[in-house]
Amino acid sequence: MVLRFPSETVNEPITYTLIREHNVLINILNADISHGKEGQLLIEMAGREEDVNEAMVYLESRQVGISPVVKTILFNEAPCVHCGACVSVCFHGALEMDAQTRKLQFSPEKCVACELCIRACPLRLFELNFGVN
Amino acid sequence: MAVRKSFQEINDKIKRGEAVVLTAEEVAAMGQDHSPAEVAEKVDVVTTATFGPMCSSGMFINTGHADPPIRMERATLNGVPVFTGIAAVDLYIGATENHPDNPAYGGAHIIEDLISGRDVELNASAKGTDCYPRKSIRTTINRDNINEMMMFNPRNAYQNYPVAVNRSNRIKYTYMGSLLPRLGNANYSTSGELSPLINDPELRTIGMGTSIFLGGTTGYVSWYGTQFRTDAELNEYGVPVSNAATLAVIGDASRMSPGFIKAAYYEKYGVSMFVGIGIPIPVLDEELAARVMIRNEQITTSILDYGHPGHPEVGRTDYRTLMSGEIVLEGKKIKTASLSSLYKAREIAGILKKQLQEGSFLLTEPVMAFPRGKGLNSMDIRI
Repeated sequence: MVLRFPSETVNEPITYTLIREHNVLINILNADISHGKEGQLLIEMAGREEDVNEAMVYLESRQVGISPVVKTILFNEAPCVHCGACVSVCFHGALEMDAQTRKLQFSPEKCVACELCIRACPLRLFELNFGVN
Repeated sequence: MAVRKSFQEINDKIKRGEAVVLTAEEVAAMGQDHSPAEVAEKVDVVTTATFGPMCSSGMFINTGHADPPIRMERATLNGVPVFTGIAAVDLYIGATENHPDNPAYGGAHIIEDLISGRDVELNASAKGTDCYPRKSIRTTINRDNINEMMMFNPRNAYQNYPVAVNRSNRIKYTYMGSLLPRLGNANYSTSGELSPLINDPELRTIGMGTSIFLGGTTGYVSWYGTQFRTDAELNEYGVPVSNAATLAVIGDASRMSPGFIKAAYYEKYGVSMFVGIGIPIPVLDEELAARVMIRNEQITTSILDYGHPGHPEVGRTDYRTLMSGEIVLEGKKIKTASLSSLYKAREIAGILKKQLQEGSFLLTEPVMAFPRGKGLNSMDIRI
């Protein structure tokens, strides 16, 4: 999720409080915070359900905006040569070879963004995209 | 009476626009309800093709001489080292050579850049001699300001290739792609019944001088490829069950297309290059007809475990099963995928078929047949 900090809370130790007092696991993936201005933090949060719920209540009490994030895979299809290197590591059926045409078919709705295709593609045609829902 | 056709007779039909040309997939389907005698009667040429990563590839270029001239002793193109140990401005770009700071960029990318007409930066140095006084040079070169671009690939078009799996507990990054642990996937790399050397397994019609489709233009088989062997075990249809014969090929890269030569990078392995090759096989007689009729289910290949040293064989399968998307090994269903592109191979076989039908491509009878009974040495490690 993306946390948006209003300028008045940027100097508060919000991540510390989340971990220390609400007992949730925080994994910071990206941070863009400058003192005295608005800030953004891209995090993963995990923990017991009641702890996570309390953490969310705490964040709202501090006027921190919360937006769920969708990790998606972007596929640059035009240069694809339709080998199957990505198909071999895609276990959710998002990348499949059409049995007749032998062309690669990408179904984004099946993709769970496990990211294995990014390294498997010999032409480097996949990239990870963080979009805010 | 048994059908016998010569290269000359078939070429005459091609020139008249009367040759009957099928792709290897089409003739495999025809073979379901036609005998070899009928196929030999009706079909003149069968087109085969492959489009896969072929590491043993590269390109000679001649950059032209500067004034004053240099005898290049060390050279890089866009930072990628290239071979210099030949004449003053002759260079060989090895497809798998890496940029020292960027493992995902290498010789194949330079080759693709030059074929595409893009500028490439040349840096070279030398000690300087009386006849070649210049000691360093920095300039940009491209397809139009250099002399020759001769693609010469010492080993392409492998006759069959084993399937790669990984029985270890860790992911293996290989030239056969990312191999997931505990038999997580199975990767193969040929075009099966469309593959050139599987349709003429004894190389009766393919030898030195054979005209082929290479990278989008007409090229030639220049020699047998490195690691060429004819002693591999054959299955009941006469097809080797693992990698066997290979071809060295040559062609004018300045006429090639980036659609059929494509740089590739395999994670934690390195750079390789997709090469598109198409080979026409004349149906000279019934025996060759029987060969080109081969179907995916009749082509066996071995399965090797890349998770253990020496890549031990752990099973066998066939291309019909591989292309179904799943094989069963040790009681486990394993997802399969190809590293070579059947889509592109079909495109090449189709182009070659059209050229033969139109009479713009003629067959060449080999000027030298390749050796039989050739084995393969392993390295004898001595002190």
